[in-house]
Amino acid sequence: MGKYLLRRILQMIPVVLGATLLVYALVFALPGDPVKAMFGDKPVNEAVAAQIRAEYNLDKPFIIQYLLFLRNAFTLNFGNTFAGQPVIGEIARAFPVTIKLAVMAFCFEAIFGVVFGIISGLKKGKWYDSVILIVSLLLISVPTFVTGFAGQYFLGVQWSLIPVTVSSNTTFTEMLFPAMVLGSVSMAYIIRLTRSEISSNIAQDYVRTARAKGMSNGSVMMRHVLRNSLIPVVTYLGQDLGALMGGAMITEQIFNIHGVGFLTYQSILKGEGNLVVSIVTILLLVFVICNLIVDMLYAALDPRIRYE
Amino acid sequence: MKKKAFVIAAAVCAVATLMGGCGSSSSTNSASTDGGKMIITSYASEPQNPLIPGNTNETGGGKPGDLLFARLVSFDAKGNASNEVAESITPNDDATQYTIKLKDGWKFTDGTPVTAESFTKAWSYVANAKNAQKCSSFFSTIAGFDDLQKDGLKGTEQLSGLKVVDDKTFTVDMSQPDATFPIKVGYLAFAPLPESFYKDPKAFGQAPVGNGPYKFSKWDHNKEIDLVKNPDYKGNDVAKNDGITFKIYTSDTSAYADIQSGALDVMESVPASATKTFQKNPKVQAYNKAGSVSQTFTIPSSLEHFQTNTEEGQLRRQAISMAINRKQIVDKVLNGIGTPAKEFTSPLTPGYSDSIKGEENLEYNPTKAKELWAKAEAISKYDGQLTFAYNADGGAKPIYDAIVNQLKNNLGIDAATNPMPTFQEFRDAVTNRQIKGAFRTGWQPDYPSAENYLFQLYASAAADGKGSNDGDFKNADFDKLMDEAYAAKTTDEANKIYQQSQEILLQQLPAFPLYYSNAVGVAATSVKGFEMNWQNLPVYEELTK
Repeated sequence: MGKYLLRRILQMIPVVLGATLLVYALVFALPGDPVKAMFGDKPVNEAVAAQIRAEYNLDKPFIIQYLLFLRNAFTLNFGNTFAGQPVIGEIARAFPVTIKLAVMAFCFEAIFGVVFGIISGLKKGKWYDSVILIVSLLLISVPTFVTGFAGQYFLGVQWSLIPVTVSSNTTFTEMLFPAMVLGSVSMAYIIRLTRSEISSNIAQDYVRTARAKGMSNGSVMMRHVLRNSLIPVVTYLGQDLGALMGGAMITEQIFNIHGVGFLTYQSILKGEGNLVVSIVTILLLVFVICNLIVDMLYAALDPRIRYE
Repeated sequence: MKKKAFVIAAAVCAVATLMGGCGSSSSTNSASTDGGKMIITSYASEPQNPLIPGNTNETGGGKPGDLLFARLVSFDAKGNASNEVAESITPNDDATQYTIKLKDGWKFTDGTPVTAESFTKAWSYVANAKNAQKCSSFFSTIAGFDDLQKDGLKGTEQLSGLKVVDDKTFTVDMSQPDATFPIKVGYLAFAPLPESFYKDPKAFGQAPVGNGPYKFSKWDHNKEIDLVKNPDYKGNDVAKNDGITFKIYTSDTSAYADIQSGALDVMESVPASATKTFQKNPKVQAYNKAGSVSQTFTIPSSLEHFQTNTEEGQLRRQAISMAINRKQIVDKVLNGIGTPAKEFTSPLTPGYSDSIKGEENLEYNPTKAKELWAKAEAISKYDGQLTFAYNADGGAKPIYDAIVNQLKNNLGIDAATNPMPTFQEFRDAVTNRQIKGAFRTGWQPDYPSAENYLFQLYASAAADGKGSNDGDFKNADFDKLMDEAYAAKTTDEANKIYQQSQEILLQQLPAFPLYYSNAVGVAATSVKGFEMNWQNLPVYEELTK
C-alpha cells in the first residue's frame, strides 16, 4: 500500500510539469498583446509599455518566461498580477469560496443522489420511482444556467424566498441555492447510476445465495448490494469533486460568487499567464489527489482489489 | 485492512461534512445601512491597477478614483468645467504657458495641505516613464515630457515645464499651444498626491489618500471598496450621503438581480438581456439618455478607392454613410438605447451642434447614396469586397450585420463582416495597421471637450501610432484649425473653430459616426436623486435613500 502510494505520488511530478508547460504555452499563444490591451483604446506610451513588459518578464522568449516561472514557483513565489496583487493572494481569496461551494454541491449531490437512487432502485415501478426518474431526466436535460437564472428570478427576485446573489460573506444560506443548482445535474446522474446498479445487483446470484443462507434483508442490502453498487458511484463522485473544484464559471457568474472559475476566466481574458498557470497547477494537484483517494476507496468497497 | 479502509472512507465523509458545515455561521448582510449611516452601494468591477490616479485608465479604478481625488477643476453632470482646487488658471497670450493659483484651505485626508508641489511632483511622477504609469501620455504637451521617456531614468526626475512659484502658485510651460489644458487638468491623472505617496507608492495604491468628496476606508479585493464621506471636503460636489460602497460583481446580470431585490442601490449599465424591458420594470428606476460615448467605424484614409484626399474616395465614403440607416439600427438592434450620430463629438460635449455644414452626409438617403457611388464608379471601377472588422466579445455583431446588409441592399456592393474573437486581438490588428477594410472604433472621452474627440482621433499629430488616429487621417487644413483652436482665447471661441473643423470631417469622413451610446443605468426604487453624468456614471454625491 505504502509503495503504491509513493509510486502514485512520484507519477504526479511529470504530469504537473507537462501540464504547466502546456498551459503556459497556450496562454503565451493567445493572440493579442496583454500590455497593449492594458491601455485600452488610448495611446500606448511605448516607454511605459517597455517598463511593464520588463517587470513581468514579457520581453523574454517563451521558454525563459516558463523557466523563470518554474523557479519562482518552487519557492512558492507565483509573482504578481497585472494589478500589482500577489498571485498567491488572489488564489487564497478565491479557493476557499470555491471549496465551500464545491463541498456543499458535492454533499448535496452525494446524499440526495444516493438516497433517491436507492429508493428508486429498490422500489422499481412504484409511482415515486417514476417521479424520481422524470425529475432526474429533467435536471439532466436542462442546462444549469437555465435552472440558475429561473430559480434566481422566481425564487429570489419575484417571491423573495432565497437570497438573490451571494454577498462577500458567502454565508451558508446564500450559498445553498447556488450549490443545489451546481450539484443538480450530477445528482440526477448519480440517482440514475445508483438505481441501475442496485436493480441489477439485486438480481445477482450471490444475493440469492446470501438470502438462501438466511441472512437478514438489512445485512444483505448493506453488505452485498449496496457495497457493490457504490463502486461506480464513488468513481463518478471522485471525478466530479475534481471538476467542482475547478470552479463553476456559469454558476459563479449568475450568483456573483468570486471563486476560481471567475478568477480563471478573468485572468485568461487579461492574458495573465502567471495567474492562469498557478490556478491550473493547483487544480491539477486537486484532481490528481481526488483520483488517488477514489482509487484508495475502491479497496475499501471491494475486497478483491489490493494495492501492492 | 478492510477495517482500515472503512476508517479512511468514514474520515473522508466526515471531513466533507465538516467543511460543508463551515458555511453555516450565518450572519445577516446589509451593507446598505451601517450604524444608521446612509451608505449607497454601487455596482463595480475590480480595479485592474492599484488605486493611483495616474495609473488608472479603466472604470474599475476610475469610479472610486474620481471620488477620492479633487483636481484643479471639476465637471458638473453636463460636462461644464468650473474651478475646484484652482483659484485661477491663466494662460499667456498664445496658450503656451499657464499660471495656476490654488485656493487656500485644501487638505488631504491625512491632514497635510494641498500645495503647488502636490501637483507638480505628482504630474512629473506620472509623466516619468520609469514609473510605468498608464496615463503618462496625457502629459505629453508639457515641456520636458520627452526627456522623461528616455532610458536610464531614476523615476524622480521632474518635468522641466513645471515651476513652483510659491506654496499656492505654479506655472506650466507647454511644448505646444494647448487651449484645452484648463479642461484637461480635470482628468483623474492630473490629481494631486500627498507627500506620503512617494515614500511607498505600492502601499498608497492599496490605501490611497486623497482630497476628494470621499475618503478611502477599505479595499477588500474582489469583494468591495468602501468610501466614506470626507468631512473636510469643501469643494463643488459635497456628498449628500455618508459613503459609497463599490460592490464587485462577477456579472452585470447578477447585479441587475440585486437591484431588483433592493440589495444593490445603483448601477451604470444594463445587462443585454434586460435592454428591452428595464424601462418598464416596476422594480427598478431606469435612466436612458444620450451619452458621451461615440460609436464609429473607420476606413483607413489611405485605403485604395477610399482615400480621404481623392474625389473618388470622398464620394464612396459619403455614399456609404448615406446608405446606413442609423435610426433603424438604434431602434431595432439597440432597442433604443442609443442616439443616431449628427457629428463627431457627442451631445454631452460643450459646443455640440446638430446642424454643422455637411451633417446631411450622416442622414439616411439611399437614392443619393446610389448616385454618389455611381459617380465614383465613373472615376474608377471598384470590385473588391469591403470588410468590417470588429471584436466579437463586445456585442457588436448585430450592429455590423445590419450595416453590411444595409450596404448590400442600398448600394449593391459586396460587403462582409470580419469578426475577431477578442478585444485584445482586434486592437492589436488595429494598432499594427493590419486591417485592410473598415473596422469598429469608438471613443469614450477623458474630459468633456471637443478637442478630446477631434484632435486625439483625427489630427496628423495623432496618426501613425502616435495617438488614437487609427485611420491615419491627415489633412493640413484640419490640423491648422486644431492649432487655431488650441491658441483660442476662450472655450467658446475654441468650440466655434472645432465646429468649423468638423465641416472637413463631415466632407471627407475619415470615420463614420454611427450613434452615441446612451447613458443607461438602473437604481433601486428606494434611491433618490438618481442622475447620470457626462461620463455615463451616476452622480454619486447626489444619491440618497
